[in-house]
Amino acid sequence: MAKSMVNRSSALAGHYQTGHFGIATQTGVTLTEVPDLGLHQIACWPETLAAVGQQAAVMAGCAAAPKPGQAVTGSQGSLLRIEPLKWWLFGAEATAIAAEQGNTLNISHARTHLRITGTQATTLLNRHLPLDLRAAAFPVGTVASTAYHHVGVTLWHSEQGYELFLPRGFAVSLWEGLLASAEQFGVEVV
Amino acid sequence: MSAKRLAQGGRIDRSQPISFKWDGMTLQGFQGDTLASALLANNEHVLGRSFKYHRPRGIMSAGVEESGALVTIGSGARRDPNVKATLQELYPDLEAFGQNAWPNVRRDVGALSGLFGRFFAAGFYYKTFMGLPPFEWGKGTGLWMQYEKIIRKAAGMGTASREPDPDVYDHAHAFCDVLVVGGGVAGMAAAATAAQAGLDVILVEQDHELGGDTLSQTGAGAAQRSELLSTLAASGAKVMCRTTAFGLYDYGTAGLLERVTDHLPLQALSSHTPRQRFWTVRAQHTLLATGALERHIAFGNNDKPGIMTAAAGRSYLNRYGVLPGEKVVVATNNDSAYQVAADLQQAGAEVTLLDARAAVSGAVCDAVAGIETRMGCVPMQAKGQHALQGLQLASGTPGNWTAGDTTIADLLLVSGGWSPVVNLISHRGVRPVWNAELACFVAPAVNEPVDMVGAAAGIWDTAACIDSGLRAAEAVIQRLRPTSTQQSAPSTEPVTPQSPAHEHGWENPILPLYEVKVAGKKLKCFVDPQHDVTTDDIRLAHQEGFVSVEHLKRYTTLGMATDGGKMGNIIGLALMAEALGKDIPEVGTTTFRPPYTPVSIGALKGRNVDEHFRCLRRTALHEWNLRHGATMAPAGLWERPWYFARAGETIKEAYEREAATVRQTVGLCDVTSLGKIAIQGPDATELLNRVYTNPFAKLPIGKARYGIMLRDDGFVMDDGTTWRLSETDYFMTTTTAHAAKVMVFLEELLQTRWPELKVTLTSVSEQWAGCAVAGPKSRETLAACMADPEQISDANFPFMGVRDITLHGGIPARIARISFSGERAFEAYVPSDYAEQMMDQLWQAAQRFDGCLYGLEALGALRIEKGHVTGAELDGRVSIDDAGLGMMASPKKAFIGSALRQRPELLRADRPQLVGIFPKNRAETFNAGSILCHADKIEGLGAGWVTAVTYSPALGHWIGLGFFEGGHQGQEGKTFISADPVRKGNVEVELVSPHMYDASGERMRG
Repeated sequence: MAKSMVNRSSALAGHYQTGHFGIATQTGVTLTEVPDLGLHQIACWPETLAAVGQQAAVMAGCAAAPKPGQAVTGSQGSLLRIEPLKWWLFGAEATAIAAEQGNTLNISHARTHLRITGTQATTLLNRHLPLDLRAAAFPVGTVASTAYHHVGVTLWHSEQGYELFLPRGFAVSLWEGLLASAEQFGVEVV
Repeated sequence: MSAKRLAQGGRIDRSQPISFKWDGMTLQGFQGDTLASALLANNEHVLGRSFKYHRPRGIMSAGVEESGALVTIGSGARRDPNVKATLQELYPDLEAFGQNAWPNVRRDVGALSGLFGRFFAAGFYYKTFMGLPPFEWGKGTGLWMQYEKIIRKAAGMGTASREPDPDVYDHAHAFCDVLVVGGGVAGMAAAATAAQAGLDVILVEQDHELGGDTLSQTGAGAAQRSELLSTLAASGAKVMCRTTAFGLYDYGTAGLLERVTDHLPLQALSSHTPRQRFWTVRAQHTLLATGALERHIAFGNNDKPGIMTAAAGRSYLNRYGVLPGEKVVVATNNDSAYQVAADLQQAGAEVTLLDARAAVSGAVCDAVAGIETRMGCVPMQAKGQHALQGLQLASGTPGNWTAGDTTIADLLLVSGGWSPVVNLISHRGVRPVWNAELACFVAPAVNEPVDMVGAAAGIWDTAACIDSGLRAAEAVIQRLRPTSTQQSAPSTEPVTPQSPAHEHGWENPILPLYEVKVAGKKLKCFVDPQHDVTTDDIRLAHQEGFVSVEHLKRYTTLGMATDGGKMGNIIGLALMAEALGKDIPEVGTTTFRPPYTPVSIGALKGRNVDEHFRCLRRTALHEWNLRHGATMAPAGLWERPWYFARAGETIKEAYEREAATVRQTVGLCDVTSLGKIAIQGPDATELLNRVYTNPFAKLPIGKARYGIMLRDDGFVMDDGTTWRLSETDYFMTTTTAHAAKVMVFLEELLQTRWPELKVTLTSVSEQWAGCAVAGPKSRETLAACMADPEQISDANFPFMGVRDITLHGGIPARIARISFSGERAFEAYVPSDYAEQMMDQLWQAAQRFDGCLYGLEALGALRIEKGHVTGAELDGRVSIDDAGLGMMASPKKAFIGSALRQRPELLRADRPQLVGIFPKNRAETFNAGSILCHADKIEGLGAGWVTAVTYSPALGHWIGLGFFEGGHQGQEGKTFISADPVRKGNVEVELVSPHMYDASGERMRG
């Protein structure tokens, strides 16, 4: 897809207000919308898994494509194994794959990307997500598909914190819920 | 009864006095009090009125089993009925009220109903259905409707607020290696041991303090508690107080209710902090250290204020510093009450100890040295107007009691034995087993990682409880961390439910005693005080033929009050067993179900209330639509523009203008909510050819085709268009309503039926935002936004064409020349973050042609005029032929549903088929949802139905779509009836072709 000259509009436009909210005396959580998401899906079939995995690793600039539930970050971008036969390529452009082997798909506008950090980030996420986020179970480099108020979302534990990908159409509603529940910890929206 | 606060002792903080209100009176308590202990300290003894008979009730316990002191807390929107005063922590300015009484619990007019008590026995309510004997016996009743109103009014305890709940509730999830339920000594020991071994431990305790029974002990018990507390604190276990594990579910899942702010004064509440939190905990191993509850004994007037469990008496004395009575009788059938008698005597009360057993020996006797002790003696009947003043005793042996003398008493403490709390293990479908030696139900070993420890396993001695917790924790450590270093195993044998009774902590065996029955004495003995179920009710149920405990429970309502049978179930079972001439294990027990204690609806719902009851799904044009005057309507989780009213316009005026504008110039409509699926792979064409009824194998690249999908059973599932982008790439659109259903169905086909097909499906509904540009000026409008307008000339871009274009500003767009309105039209999709820019450009251009924005209502009018079907028609009962689209079913290929659509039933010529409907009198209208009938036969289900009605600006009158037996052919000119008996009545209509406007489709082309 050619690069447009106009700026992209966030799904949260008009609903995203920076500042400190909730309990005034502490900041347990910091929420950030990461704008201009670049996200490509790379898919294959069982017999082409290894070959497409190699191509995916090249696109991300990493040694090997990650196993299910895992994510790796390379020189070009990050690869998140979101399904047995699908990766997400985050932050890099996908190159074409022979149709017989697999395919790529630009889904950069399909998700709203939030970053959640802070001492209470895990606690906040567990207010909503039925995921075992204990350090041993969900270390940096883990990715999971899960449900947030019945909406399918993707959570990735990156070096920067928790990266939460919300379906764009649900983003405002889920953001409102996340922010309200974060107020009990004191929340900074940046 | 005369209770008073002692000058010292207890765990209350006398430096922090608290004033609170009870029924309007201002009283004083201390930090650390419960409402019950504070009321007791103020010598308030009538705190409630019973359910049926309005008998005065007081404090009966010091915990969750409380059946007497049920009160209402708070007022206005925060009025909370049926709160157990024994659990409510005192806070400054707490407001509590008596309930189920008028004018108040101390003088209640409703108590008159107690005079008619014999009419309100078990099954009273059911019997009223039978009619008033003897006049209406067995014939049903005319009077029923009259006294049903009175019964309804009298039923219930307390009144909930009718106002919206002002508080916020939270949900939370947690994961751990070991969940320990219950923070008594066994639970503390288990949690600390497991956590010391590096396991992730959560310990939950319903009280606000850890310690369980040791909180009510002085001396050694208190010292043991302190020691365990410090071990626990150092162990790293996560402790959650004020939290109840209310249910235990599959795979180690437990439901917890955390009361976050219920103990805080209103002014201390922050809008950020939830009132309660509903936890779902998933544990690898669960240890139930849930303790045991002390039982009552059924004797005359055993519900009178001033009668409570022995342990409760000790708790008020030692934990809250309240001397609950001055002249105290302690009645027991086991060893546990001896220390209670000793503690009270030491605190200054005059104590008499009654023991049903003939004789006891050992250290328990030393404990009560100097206390008047009467062996083989039990309470027979409590005396006193509103509260206990005296007690008539009986002596003898069980089944053979003889009435004796009356003694003066202002407090009677009863211990009828102990029932381990086996509720949570029962939630797992486990039937507790009767242990005759301990006279209680205990849990059997279960085939899942759940263990009972401490008193919950029938272990009464504090040291043995601690030992039980330690051993259980060691076993869990070995299971979850088999490599961890073995701790030295204790040399003694553990106490198990099978161990001899004396190893469970009692020197002398318990004497089972459930009821004191004295020949010739008519006594009102309560089994389940909260529901006013008496021993006579149990026997009446038996006489009337109820033999199963499950039926007994429902007939008498025994155990169905808010305490869930904690107070009276065992007594009820014992009486039923006696009536049946069986043993308790033969009669069995009823099933405990979650929740262990009540859970508020607010906590269950959490934050998913009001506008977040369901997620609102917004299109990328949601805000744009609102800014441009849209009135929105829900469409599944989406909201879509309904109409764009100009100043002063009604909805009818608005949509008629919008629909007419589309036919005359151009209109724009947000169609983002349509389902969109990327279908990629070398076998994408094959998949489409198998799921659509019409051929897709030869769809050229750059073309779209309308397609219909059937279900396996031959009925229509969905329709939509599919665009061919390349040899191996397609873009499918579905209806808004069926987007997820179609996606799931296709994925299921690929994963289960055709795994050999190399196809990738991806929902791209969120990736693309779409706008329909419809009307004679649609091409000019779209072209005005394009760098290269020639790309969409009729020659370059014929009907059903598909191509990628670039809008001004370099916005990439994917367009198709397809029409739902029947006009020349385009659907344009851009990546969602560019949606508003696309819309700005299109709207600016459309305004130059006097175009409009249109919503669902105009969209509906346009499609009804054209006879285009939607979800209103394709409701799951309609075949492709019924919808008039039979020519789209290819006879040359197999497709999903191709076999079963050939069923004779689906081929009948008289099946209801899609028709257009005009009112006979064109000035009239009719309703969607009406039944279509022959004019001479307006009855039953009629001969068809109306699915959609609109005013047609193009035709100048109301029109509709519907289904009619055999379709419209041959019916022209005849009169039918659109029957709508509950709304509009009958309207004369005629049936026409569903293609009511531009039937040849000329307007879409050119």
